[in-house]
Amino acid sequence: MAQRQRYREGILEVLRLSFLYFLLVLYLIPFFLVFVNAFKDRNQIIANPFRLPSAFHLANFIEAFRKMNYPYAFWNSLVITVLSTALIVFFSSMTAYLFARLPWKFNRFMFFLMVASMLIPFQAIMIPLVKIYGSFGLLNNRWTLMYMYLGFGCSFAVFLYHGAIKSIPLELEEAAMIDGCSRFQAFFRIVFPLLRPTTTTVAILDVLWIWNDFLLPSLVLISPRNRTLPLSTYYFYGTYTSEYGLLLASLILSITPVIIFYLFMQRHIIRGILQGSIK
Amino acid sequence: MVSEKTLFGKVGTYLLFAGPTTFALFTVVILPFLFGVYLTLTNWDGLSATYLFVGLKNYRMVFEDKAFWTSFGLTLRYVAYTVVLTNVIAFTLAYLLTSGIRGQNFLRAGFFVPNLIGGIVLGLIWRFVFSNVLVYVGKRFGWELFLRSWLAHPDKAFWALVIVSVWQSSGYMMVIYIAGLMGIPKDLVEAATIEGATGLQRLRYVILPLLTPFTTVCIFLSLQRGFIVYDLNKALTEGGPYKSTELVAMHVYEKAFLAQQYEIGQSEAFFLFAMIVGVTLAQVYLGKRLEVEQ
Amino acid sequence: MRKLVFFLIAALVLSVAMSVTAGARVNITFLNSKGEIQAQLEEIAALYSEIAKDVTVEVIPCPVGQSPFEKVVSMYASGNAPTIAMVDAGDVKKFQDKALNLTGERWVQDAIPGSLDMATLEDGTVVGFPFAVEGYGLISNKKVLDKALGKSFDPSSIRTRKDLQALFEELKNAGVAPLVISPLDWSLGAHFFAIAYAAQSPDPKQVDAFLKDLRAGKVDLQQNSVVNGLLDTFDVMRAYNIDKDDPLSGTYDRGSYLLGTGEVAMWFMGNWAWPQLSELDPEGEYGFLPVPISDNPDDYGNSQIPVGATKFLILDREQSSEAEQRAAKDFLNWLVYDAKGQDMLVNKLSIIPAFKNITLEPKDPLAKSILQYVRAGKTLQFVLDLPADHWRMVGAFMQKYLGNAISRDELLDEIENYWKNVK
Repeated sequence: MAQRQRYREGILEVLRLSFLYFLLVLYLIPFFLVFVNAFKDRNQIIANPFRLPSAFHLANFIEAFRKMNYPYAFWNSLVITVLSTALIVFFSSMTAYLFARLPWKFNRFMFFLMVASMLIPFQAIMIPLVKIYGSFGLLNNRWTLMYMYLGFGCSFAVFLYHGAIKSIPLELEEAAMIDGCSRFQAFFRIVFPLLRPTTTTVAILDVLWIWNDFLLPSLVLISPRNRTLPLSTYYFYGTYTSEYGLLLASLILSITPVIIFYLFMQRHIIRGILQGSIK
Repeated sequence: MVSEKTLFGKVGTYLLFAGPTTFALFTVVILPFLFGVYLTLTNWDGLSATYLFVGLKNYRMVFEDKAFWTSFGLTLRYVAYTVVLTNVIAFTLAYLLTSGIRGQNFLRAGFFVPNLIGGIVLGLIWRFVFSNVLVYVGKRFGWELFLRSWLAHPDKAFWALVIVSVWQSSGYMMVIYIAGLMGIPKDLVEAATIEGATGLQRLRYVILPLLTPFTTVCIFLSLQRGFIVYDLNKALTEGGPYKSTELVAMHVYEKAFLAQQYEIGQSEAFFLFAMIVGVTLAQVYLGKRLEVEQ
Repeated sequence: MRKLVFFLIAALVLSVAMSVTAGARVNITFLNSKGEIQAQLEEIAALYSEIAKDVTVEVIPCPVGQSPFEKVVSMYASGNAPTIAMVDAGDVKKFQDKALNLTGERWVQDAIPGSLDMATLEDGTVVGFPFAVEGYGLISNKKVLDKALGKSFDPSSIRTRKDLQALFEELKNAGVAPLVISPLDWSLGAHFFAIAYAAQSPDPKQVDAFLKDLRAGKVDLQQNSVVNGLLDTFDVMRAYNIDKDDPLSGTYDRGSYLLGTGEVAMWFMGNWAWPQLSELDPEGEYGFLPVPISDNPDDYGNSQIPVGATKFLILDREQSSEAEQRAAKDFLNWLVYDAKGQDMLVNKLSIIPAFKNITLEPKDPLAKSILQYVRAGKTLQFVLDLPADHWRMVGAFMQKYLGNAISRDELLDEIENYWKNVK
């Protein structure tokens, strides 16, 4: 009897697995297409997008690498992404700590404001933003861009941190403060280390967002030497058609770093969300 | 240590902890937003050096812009399908991937990966899939469904948009649901099993209710993404064929920059914002109420 | 002794000062909105920066999905206006309070008549430099035609709609798909339908008046013979379209691919498509056929193709220094008058220049074909003075018509309504 039960469960598992893998394959077909076609030239791609390339030449990649000014663009993307994420993590965690521990009316209002601001469509503030910062001559500058990412990214981060901090028992900080720590020290020595899962989640989500972001850098960074990777991929789009082979190669060059980053970090995302959810 | 009881102390503490973010939020988001609202009360066309105050005239024109309302209605339809499908698929995947199947981590990572490609690139790749790849498949195997490009017909193009959006977001939501499912105490589930509940009953009476906060968050996020979608719309269908799949954000953008009626476009953007806030607030409120009732 | 020291110091200071200012390069920016020539423009900019020694030209691309107008607006709003900006002909006048007055420039006198129209203000001030002359019509692949007809194809033999239809029928019987129509809104709205405006009259003023009447709602398109004639030809094209079973599925790439590989004999498009065709068929022979609008060979519009200056360069006067403006003007003069500059313009960018003095012959067959029509005086106005969203809206209507979703009457009604309500 038990054996029959196990047998049935075994079949169910096989069925489930096959279903999942089948779905996964469907999900990943676009990636397959990108990969396969990055090795062909434009006309081959148009003629038959499914056919495997006759040979895996790296010609597209080499040319894309050169035209994108890859080292510069990569460095720009890296600097901007890492520093912006650090800014967001650092300042948002502090803000969330304040909102979570000191439930003043003003804090509650500000928290609500932050969450509400996540709903503002970017197009609505795009031009006023550019006009204001342009009139102060603050554009075409990486620091301005990073500052803007802080402004745009802090709301969601504060939201995630808020939930996480609420789940950390107060006693730990209270004990520290009784011993003479300032609140600031208590936060950094005790609370922040405990927030590692959430920090990881925030970091991952922000890295994914900022690394691939196109619109904001295109408005703020104007000269070619300031370009980030997504900006330099747009180089391959023509007015009517595009250099598909180069484009796909540049795409691969552009998102591979972040995919590698993600694969390393992925198990932490779930832990981080978990931490942020227990109220 | 400065006391936190005094006003001075409170202000100091606030500035220390939340100063930078508050300042950044204001100067990057709130201020431009308010400036934008002000601009909707003028007739600035985005270019001239001067403009005049015209009061609520622009908002009146928003009401008269039939195309805006059509695109808004279309967007509501799109959001409805996308939110439901994304969450159902995400939950199903999450449920299957927390049951201890082999290769779970690999599958979880795999389903999340679509989220890594964004915006215009996403639209371009899928446009390629729909107009070249699927047609090729249709011709090769004689499948009627794919013989004609989906992007050439208003209804099919609409579904193409929905499909791609669901493809992109389901992995993201799945991760949130997985976290939620992992947080459900095992003993609760076991207790239900012992009492004789079937899988379906366990789902309905134990698991889903406990997931409510996560469901609320996921629905909030999918609503937000759905309403302001522009990049994908532009890159996949460009609003076509003949503007039949022009969602509201795209309409607003084109009004401002293509028709060069910037002041009306900006006003429409604010209208949209107000409506999104309304919808999401209602949704979160309902979610919180459900949570409390449990 | 003191005097000597003083003199030496003065000399030293002076020479340092001179070397500092002499070494100070003027940096000018060039916003390019023609994606396909981005790489070539950057090469030319680098070349010029070497030649001009104290000027550096930086080329900024216009991101895909952004119209040139929108990019320029956001650059002005951000205080980073490009010194030179390539804008569409229809947008030039919108920048009049920001564009430099170029009336006194030498090339104004050498510009082909009519090419400065879109850049000249009411008071005669010229604010734009005509960068590219383009034309469109039915691009025909001569080799395919010759083979199918069994003889050398003579374009001038097609002078009426009947002739065109007969040609399509012959091609079909020979087993060759006659043509492909790309269902792109800009192609149908800004180019194809615009023929209906241009063919109203050879006098541009009459065409203007016609457009004004459309805005005033005074035109009944159902009664207009030119419009109906053009659409009758469109119906003929539709019937022989290789994609006629799924007319809205095609892409720009499909069009160039079909024509370049010889699968179709003709494609409605303009000379900007040459780079794509040359990738597939660099030695091919191509030429333009006009889109006929009637069956009377003498009617205006049957033997002419629309040709005009479509892209203009405007120079910024609001946010650039005198030195930058002068450098920009010099760069333009170099393109028009310097042998190397002319070579770059015509051969590297594959552009048909809008200036009489440039005698260099373009190498690509489409440009050659256009020049033939220009020299024979057989051109229609390339109507560019249309509302900013005309291509999108009328293009969408034409797509509906192409896809059989609306009837001819409904199409004309929608176009009439559009004009009545447009800003």
